[in-house]
Order: sequence, then C-alpha cells, then structure tokens
Amino acid sequence: MLYRFRFLALSAALLAFVGCDSSDNEPDPVPLNAQVATDVEADPTTGRDPNSGRPISNDLFTLFDLDAGQIVLSSSQTDAAVRAADSASTVWDIGFKGTTLIFNGGASGPGQGSAQLLTQTFDAVTEAPAAGYATDGSNTCPAVETPGGTFPGAPNAICTGSDNGWYNYNAQQNLIAPLAGRTIVLTTGDGNYAKVRILSYYQGNPTTPDPNTDASRYYAFEYIVQPDGSRDFETTEG
Amino acid sequence: MLVQPCATAFDHVKALPATLLTHLSLVLGLVLLSASGALAWPILEQPSSPPARPDSTARPDTTVRPDTTVRLSSVVVTATRTAKEIEDVAVPIAVVSAEEIERQGAVRLGEVLAAVPGLHFFDDHGTGIQVQGFAPDYTLILIDGQPVIGRTAGTLDLDRLTVQGVERVELVRGPSSSLYGSEALAGVVNIITSHPQDGLRGGLNVRGGSFATSDLSADVQYGAARGGARLLVNRYASDGYDLTPDDGTAATFGPTVPTFTDWTSDFRGHYDLTDRLELRLGARAAYQDQAGAFAQTATDGSLVTFDDTANRLDWSVHPEARLRLSDRIRLTSTLYAAGYQTETRFRRQDDGSVFYSDDFDQRLTRGEVIADALWNGAHQSIVGAGYTDERLVGDRYNFEGEQPVAQQAFAFAQHEWRPSRLVEVNASARLDAHSDYATQLSPKVAVLVRPSETIRLRASVGSGFKAPAFRQLYLAFTNAAAGYSVFGSTRLADGLAQLEADGLIAQQFLDPTGLDPIGSETSVAYNLGATVSPTPWLSTSLNLFYNDVKDLIETQPVAVKTNGQQVFGYFNLDRIYTRGVEAEATVLPLDALSLADSDHRVEVAVGYQFLQARDRDVIDALESGTVFGRDLNNRDVQLGVGDYAGLFGRSPHSATLRATYEHADLGLTTSLRARYRSEYGFADFDGNQIANRPDEFVSGYGIVDATVTKTVPAPGDTQAALQLGIDNAFDVTRGALVPSLPGRRFYATLRLSL
Repeated sequence: MLYRFRFLALSAALLAFVGCDSSDNEPDPVPLNAQVATDVEADPTTGRDPNSGRPISNDLFTLFDLDAGQIVLSSSQTDAAVRAADSASTVWDIGFKGTTLIFNGGASGPGQGSAQLLTQTFDAVTEAPAAGYATDGSNTCPAVETPGGTFPGAPNAICTGSDNGWYNYNAQQNLIAPLAGRTIVLTTGDGNYAKVRILSYYQGNPTTPDPNTDASRYYAFEYIVQPDGSRDFETTEG
Repeated sequence: MLVQPCATAFDHVKALPATLLTHLSLVLGLVLLSASGALAWPILEQPSSPPARPDSTARPDTTVRPDTTVRLSSVVVTATRTAKEIEDVAVPIAVVSAEEIERQGAVRLGEVLAAVPGLHFFDDHGTGIQVQGFAPDYTLILIDGQPVIGRTAGTLDLDRLTVQGVERVELVRGPSSSLYGSEALAGVVNIITSHPQDGLRGGLNVRGGSFATSDLSADVQYGAARGGARLLVNRYASDGYDLTPDDGTAATFGPTVPTFTDWTSDFRGHYDLTDRLELRLGARAAYQDQAGAFAQTATDGSLVTFDDTANRLDWSVHPEARLRLSDRIRLTSTLYAAGYQTETRFRRQDDGSVFYSDDFDQRLTRGEVIADALWNGAHQSIVGAGYTDERLVGDRYNFEGEQPVAQQAFAFAQHEWRPSRLVEVNASARLDAHSDYATQLSPKVAVLVRPSETIRLRASVGSGFKAPAFRQLYLAFTNAAAGYSVFGSTRLADGLAQLEADGLIAQQFLDPTGLDPIGSETSVAYNLGATVSPTPWLSTSLNLFYNDVKDLIETQPVAVKTNGQQVFGYFNLDRIYTRGVEAEATVLPLDALSLADSDHRVEVAVGYQFLQARDRDVIDALESGTVFGRDLNNRDVQLGVGDYAGLFGRSPHSATLRATYEHADLGLTTSLRARYRSEYGFADFDGNQIANRPDEFVSGYGIVDATVTKTVPAPGDTQAALQLGIDNAFDVTRGALVPSLPGRRFYATLRLSL
C-alpha cells in the first residue's frame, strides 16, 4: 500500500514538473483518461439444451467501438442484415463472444485492427509498442485444452485458451479470471492505438465472482484510445 | 483426571520467555490490556508449575496440599530420548503439566497446544497445529514416545486425543529427525501418560457445556511396589456447531463441525519382573462416529444435499521391556502396533443413494531396541535401531488390485558430552532406509552453555525430513466426475502405461521410467537462544529460528488425456524458509510478591512470536517483477516483495498471556488466558497464488479463556473439584474461515478423586 502511495506521489511530482516545463506556443497536451465499460454482453447463455443440459447461446459477437465508448452491435442482435452491415464497417474496434476477442482487421473485419498481449500492468504501458501486432487469422497460438479435448489454437491476435491469452480458467471452480498483468494493445478499426485491460467476465464486475450465482459472458474492461495517431497513452494533442 | 502425586516435588523455575526489547513494549501492552480488561491469555509453555522450592520453609502449606500443588518434575524426555532437566536441554522445549491442563479445563490435545506461545490451530481436514510456521504435516505427534498415525491431507486431528490420564505434554521446537525420523521436521509433540499412583484409586471427571459438548472420564488405578496399572475410559461428544447460517446456498448448508461421539479407552501398566527388568504395556483404542451434511450446486443451479457420515477406529498396542544391564547401561525393547481405519460415506438426502464412499485402513508395526549408556559424568550415549512395516488398504490406493506395503529400517545414535560444568554438547544422527523413497540421513548438533547460574545459551543446527506421504507415493486415483488422474510416484510409470494401453493418453510430457525416485522433503534448521533469570522471580527467554526447506512435494502435470484432462504426478519442487523470534517472560510467584500471606499465589507468563514463512520461488518471481495482483476494483497492479505476506495461514505476530491466581486457603484457583494472532492470508482471489489483497486475509483476533476452580477437601485422599469455565469470552468468530473458532462457550466440570 505504502509502496503504491509513494509511487503515486512520485508520479504527481513528475507530472507537476512536466507541466511547468512546457512553455512553448503549442497547445498543452491533454491528459488521456481511462474509460470503463461494464456489463458488455458477450453472447450470454439464453437457456439450456433440454437433452444434453448444455448451455445454449446465439453464438454471435458483440462489437464495441472504443472511440465512442459504446456497443455497435450486440450479440443479442440476430437480424442477419443488420449484423452484416455493422460488422462490415470500420467503426467497431473490438468484438467479444465468450472468452474470444476479435479485432477489426485481418480475418475479422475490413478495418486496420490488430492486437498483441503485453505482460505488463495497464498503468505501466505508457506507450504502445511500435511492432509486434498480429491480425486475426495470422497469429500462431498454442493448443487449447478443454474438457472436451485438446484443439489447435485459433490463429487469433489474442490467443484463446486458459493462460494462452487474457484469462485463466479454473476447472474446479468453473471460473474465468482475467490474468493480472496482461494488457492488450491494439490498433482500432481506424488505425489508432489503444490499450485495454479486462476487469471481469461476470455481470456487475464483482470483486470475487461466484460462477454459481454471477452471470458470465459480461465483460467489464478499462481502456484508453489515443485519437491523435501517436503511440502515447498519457497525453493527446488531438 | 486424577491428581498427580506430589511426592516428586522438585520443580524448577523454568526457562521462560524472554523478549526483544522492541517487542517488550508489545508484550507489556498485552499485560496491561488483559489486566485492565480482566482478561487473560493462555498459557505458556512452561509449566505452569510454581517455582520449585521444595526446600523452602516459607510456604510449607502449598507444597503439601494435594489439591493445589500438583507438582511435576521438570524432567523432560522428548528432546534427547533421555530424562533431562528441562533447563539443561539445548533446544527450545515447552512443557504443559497436568496441573496446568486441569487449570485450563482442557480436554483435548488441541486446546492444550493452542495455548503454547507461537503455536496456532491450522484447519485443514481437522485441527492441526502450526509450529515455527509449518503446516501440521511437519510435526510428529507421539504418545509415550511412539507415533500416533492417521493423517488426512497431512493433518493429524488433535481433537482425536484426550488429555485425560496425561502427566504432561512436551513440545520440542525445531527438527528432531535425528532421533525420530520422518515428520519431526518442525517439531515433536510427546504426550506422556501418567504413572499409576500407589494403592487403589479411582477418578471421575464430568464436564458439560455449550453445543451439548460433554466429556466424561472414569479411571481406576492400582499401584504397588513392583508395579501398577491404570484403565481409563473417556467419552467426548458434541452436537457440533454451524458458523454459517443456512441461506439457501451450497456453501452455507450443513454444520461447520458435525455431531460426533468419540470413545477412548486407554490402559497403562508396568511391572518389575526382577530388579533389573521392567515390563510395560500401553494399549489404546478410540472410536468416533460423526454425522454432518453438505450441499453441491447442480448444473441447473439447484441444490443437491448430502449426508456426510464417517467413523474412525484408531488403536495402538505398546509393550516395552526395560532391562538394566548394569548400573550404567540400560536396554529398552519396544514393540508398537497401531491401526487407523476410516469409513466415509456421502449419501444423497433425496434418495439415500451412496454418492461417494471411501474406506481407508492403515497399519503400522514397529520393533525398536535402544541402548543407553552413562559412561561417566561427562559422557552419555544412546544407540537405537528398528524396523517398521506399514500397510495400506484404501479405495484410492488400490492399483490393479495391489495395495501398498512398505518397509523401513532405521538406526540412530546420540552422544552427550559435558567437557566442563559450563558446556554441554549433544550430537545425534539417524539413518532411515525405506523401500519406496531415497535413504535419508539426518544429523544434528546442539550446544548448551551456562556462563552463570542465571544464564543459559542454546544453539543447535539440525536437519529434518518428512517422508513422502502415502498419497505422494501410492495414490492411484481418477476423478470419475472431472476425469483427471493422479498417481503417486511408485505408481506413475505403471499408471501412465495403463492409460496409454487403454488409448487414453493424448500427449505425454515426460518419460516416467527415467525419473529419479521421489525424495523426502528436507530442511536444515538453526535455533539460537538464551534464557536469563535476572531475579529468582523472573525468567526470560529468547529464541531465533531459521528453517531452510527444500524439495517440498507438489503435483505437476505429466500428460494430457484424450478427454482434455491432465494426469498428475508428484515431484520434489518447492523451496521455502521460515524464520522468526520466540520470546517469553514469566513472573513466578515469590514470597515477596505474594499478597499479605502465603496463601496467595500469582503467576503471569507472556509469550510473543514473530514469524516469516516464505516460498523462495515466489520471492524470486516478485523480485523479477513478474507477479501481478488485482485490487478490489479488479484493476491489475504489479507486486513487489513488500506485498508478499508469506505462505497462507501464517500470522507474522502472535502473542499469548496467562495469569493464574491461587488462594490456597479457600482452595480457589483462577486462570485467565489469552492468545492473539495478527492477520493472515487464507486464499487467493486474484490469480497470483499469493495473499496480497485485503479480502484474501483473515483479520487478526484475540481469544480470551478463563476458569475458576474450587477444590473441596474431603476425608482421606478423597477430593473433589468444581470448575466453571468460559472459552472465547468475547465471542470472536471468523465464520467458515476459521472453523475451529466457535463463539463463546461455557462449561462446568466436576472432578472426583477417590
């Protein structure tokens, strides 16, 4: 705790220092603030197969626009024409279906979307890496272990499977938990840089979700988009 | 229990607590707190016994009155396997006498040990005890020097053992594997049963209290010049309790501690066949029945409830022959057989069908011969050797119809050397050769220095080990519901081959045929301490300990099955250390301190422990910056070494306090005890395997117990005592997080000695 306070105090001091130093004519850079999106549905279950008891769902993605901070297309939208129109646009940046994430580029969409996973805290990623991004369909991912068998990993930009990407699956508790210290850095449909951290996979962003009572497939995540095209995640000139 | 004979009344001012100056204030604060709050803290280790002054003429009454002056010798046997004055033992040792056990109103071993400074309950499949920061697996429990068997998930449930018929409980801190072998890594608890008294006597002890908990004991004993015998029967029962009121969820369904009835019968006898040959026999049988319930959440969200019934039979037979070959050489031959059987059933409450059943039957047979020789005043040696046969029959251990059988041969030697009156050196070593794990050599050296009458310095370095547990050697288990498999090291190769032959293996990570056999978990421990008694009424002691442990056994996946589930094996992986400070101070009653007349006796003892128990790999990862956590808002943070609270269940700070007031004329004794432990981690919720977030900790708590005992003198040797007690006076609970901590409890005890 103390440690973190000290860090905060230090950051504040640094910010103050930087602020005093910027004495040129250019407009002062505006600090970028993180946004939080909660309860973004990611194809939640709609019932159970009466024969097998397996959960059933629409098997559709929710598409989210980070710049606007809103859902473009919900997984509950089943109208094929609407879905085709929305998913063919470059407006959306990140898509959610269960634990699978997609980005608007490569095999997933017409945009300039790509992503990579950094082993760093969200706060520690102050600048997007210049390289290392993959588009959906072009990545190489490890095999995915499931109760139903082992499958080759889908070549998504952010790999699927427990501990392969952004989450851990605890089979005993049937719990999906975002891995701490993982930050997704991505390019949006428009080619801007953004960073995302997943906060929760359960409705209401509970601190300690109970898979028996909390509904899964509802994302909470925090993100910063840099609108000026730079890789900086601290301030923007746009 | 019967009152102990008071004939051997040479007690000693034991070594008690000492303190770091920095912690003295805390300890004093506790004293004040407890005094002002009219509380008290439990016990200390050392006995309890009043300062020993059999030669004192100042208070002759207290040394003869049988009720209040149950004096025990301060001779201990566990640390060196020889009888030794406690203050001359070179390693940290604590003793709780029968007198103190009675004063506390304790009926089971757990209650006795929880009051010793630095020891904590550790709840995991029963109530175990934590010594120097180690889980209960690492403390050996003995009755008259022979091991109690039967552990579940490593925990030997201390509530199994009654302390009726016990003369004292000794606790050695630090490893004693050089004398006792496996499990004596963190410490050794030795329950010393009482010797039959002269003449024909009987005793009755009836206690009843909250949660319909009752403890009934009756004993008969006969002692004569050549021998004696004692038979004890004890019944301990309770309705159990529920710390989580049922709110319709699976987690809250059923009691925290189930209803149970526990019977123990215990026989101890000895007979001098000749002047040189003494025969002894100990026999013990205990049976427990328990009935609880629990629930699971079905896939459709509904609650499925189960009855959980279990019974347990636990017995031992312990014949021994002690032959005095000469004035200086003695030979002790021991046979020991013990069994531990359990039957567990889970039945669905709706249709009574058996959902899970597990039977387990463990047998241990041991022969041991020990020779000890007192060469002269300066040299004393012990050598011993023995052979152990262990057999297991259990549902989880059955592999292709084959049940585990293991043999072990061992030999040990100890030499004590007193080069001068000031110095004593003790060196010992033991060799354990086992059929299924690598041979283990455990040496130890301890030195005691007495620069003056009032100062004793102790230093020891020794190795401890814990043999792989049964499951780690012999388990052959496939979870029918989830589909994963776990094999003990002796079954891994065959188990994998069998799965492979059945076409169930998708990918194998390693070739089990090339593996080294699994080894014991081993430690090197250092203890450094001092006892200082600056005045006759004050004794302080301080001990620094450091345990460096490697090769802790963990599971690791060795293959993936075609169903996607893994196959696990056991490997020597983890490295941890525990280190800390134990400090104690005892103010012993002295005439000068006593109130107006010598009928009053006051004794106060305080203890404090500082503890760090850490995983070295976690420390390495934290130092490399690759460990992350989440705050309560689910935001991730990077963690450093300063964020690491150590292993789960370890409190960095703990303290105990005990105060006794005795009014001899009125036959009244008041005992107040308190124990405190600071917060400790109990779970990981943010996926980093360590406790770092506030909700991952059990907050610190203090427990206060008190008893008042009134002794009624009666004609002849007969006497009666009535005791009223309150446990956990301030009703502290931590819900299901600490199942061994029910709320406030009252009880009353009637003790008759005829």
